[in-house]
Amino acid sequence: MSIYVESVLTFTSITCITVCGLYILTGLTGMFSLGQASFMALGAYAAAVLGKLYHWPFIPCLLVGIILSVVTGFLSGYPIMRLRKEYLTLITLCYGEAIIALLNQSNITGGALGMSDIPKHTTLIIAILFLIFGIYFAWCFRHSKFGRMAIAIKSDELASKSMGINMAAVKMRSFLCAAGLAGLAGGLYAFYLQYVDPSLFGWRKSGEWVAWVFFGGVNSLTGSIVATFGLSALSQFFSRFADYQVLIYSAMVLLVLNFKPNGVFGYWELSDLFNTRDRRMQRLLKEAQTREGALKHEQT
Amino acid sequence: MSRLELKHVYLSFGGVKAVQDFSMQAEEGQIIGIIGPNGAGKTTIFNVISGIYTADSGQIFLDGEEITQLAQHRIALKGISRTFQNIRLFHGLNCLENVQTTLDASSKYNLLDAILMTPRRRKEEKRTRQRALSELEWVGLGEYVLENPENLSYGLQRKLEIARALAADPKVLLLDEPAAGLNPKEVQELMKLILRIRDERGITILLIEHRLELVMTVSERIYVQDFGETIAIGTPAEVQNNPEVIKAYLGEEE
Repeated sequence: MSIYVESVLTFTSITCITVCGLYILTGLTGMFSLGQASFMALGAYAAAVLGKLYHWPFIPCLLVGIILSVVTGFLSGYPIMRLRKEYLTLITLCYGEAIIALLNQSNITGGALGMSDIPKHTTLIIAILFLIFGIYFAWCFRHSKFGRMAIAIKSDELASKSMGINMAAVKMRSFLCAAGLAGLAGGLYAFYLQYVDPSLFGWRKSGEWVAWVFFGGVNSLTGSIVATFGLSALSQFFSRFADYQVLIYSAMVLLVLNFKPNGVFGYWELSDLFNTRDRRMQRLLKEAQTREGALKHEQT
Repeated sequence: MSRLELKHVYLSFGGVKAVQDFSMQAEEGQIIGIIGPNGAGKTTIFNVISGIYTADSGQIFLDGEEITQLAQHRIALKGISRTFQNIRLFHGLNCLENVQTTLDASSKYNLLDAILMTPRRRKEEKRTRQRALSELEWVGLGEYVLENPENLSYGLQRKLEIARALAADPKVLLLDEPAAGLNPKEVQELMKLILRIRDERGITILLIEHRLELVMTVSERIYVQDFGETIAIGTPAEVQNNPEVIKAYLGEEE
């Protein structure tokens, strides 16, 4: 594999980890964040500072990055979880830009020049392994009570609360999961690129990721992942026509969203292929029989 | 001690007095009807009980415990469940998941359990899944378990909403115009379902309804509201012959 292809794949895999978080935040919970890149920045800078200046090993650096993202996510998210969803978009935008501004001023991280000579720990294999973890995380989230409650909140806040769902807690949980995954991706990013500077993590990045999620299908994890790989590969390809790149790219996204508002994949998941409705129904009924059998057993 | 008690509840929106001095008591297993012309503040009473609005003054008690100031989801967890006038189901979830979501609010496993697929998660998921399934069978939706709610007929969507509310094992169930948009056959089925909820499960039901044949048949006591005020309280027969009520519904004679 050429070095070029390998680097494209690695960067895309890392970005896709953030997109898994966005699937939870935007796809399941219906919240828009334009500050995801700044959570990635926190992860990246934590990794850079600890790995380069303090010579920490790989995994602890990533963990600190995740914790830092989650904690700042909690502090910035706490006041706004009870407000309407649009406010979150505004606040995350401001918050993200504030983090970038702070990093531009900070001496220890080299200000606007950033930091270079960060040790290289991430390889393509490692990136893919972490991506598999990210996908698994998002999948588990969706297929648990947390996923259901998040979708309920997205669909109808008032009815969800009337069913006993704590809306602020559900929103916060999704927000922190997304922040944590972005922090993880940031750490991997810094250890692959071996260089970070604040301009890598502006709100345009965050906006682009949200567009990917909608392009692939906001309700489909499969769609979000395929869109990430498809569109970032495409933008690499079109980089030869740099002048038209953004134009072609934007036109495609607009066309898809205009004619398929639910994105390319809609509600379809890859797992639907082998987990058909008939099979799910059979499983459910089988489980119900064991329950009734157990009840009869107790009575006799 | 009453199951549900409202004492002198007031609520205004700006100059509009939506609820004025509303008091009521409901015992275990009673069906209470609330009727009145449009804009009489009936739904507002439900919204105050379920915590969507907080009363300007007055108190609400559930089994003697005051719930007036509690947050909406806390009131639901205390045992007050409801349906909505314009059906509000969760889109993006199938029928089973819609009902399961109610149980999820009090299901006991955390995010780590979910990621590690621990036995606790499996046990709780199985419990809520089976409970939701039996709730759907109980209202007669057994064959639509994995269907998406938007594909169901209006009458079935109503039943699904009731199943979702029942899954919480409520002490009090608030039904906001459950018969709206149903055909006569479906209204008969709904009437049977409401009586079954009371007889088999002992749940107290508050019923807002415009279909008088339904509300007059099932209710033990009826509150008649007009412009936010209670103009009559009594059995269906008493209320039907009350001159104030006839005036509110038909207007005054010239």
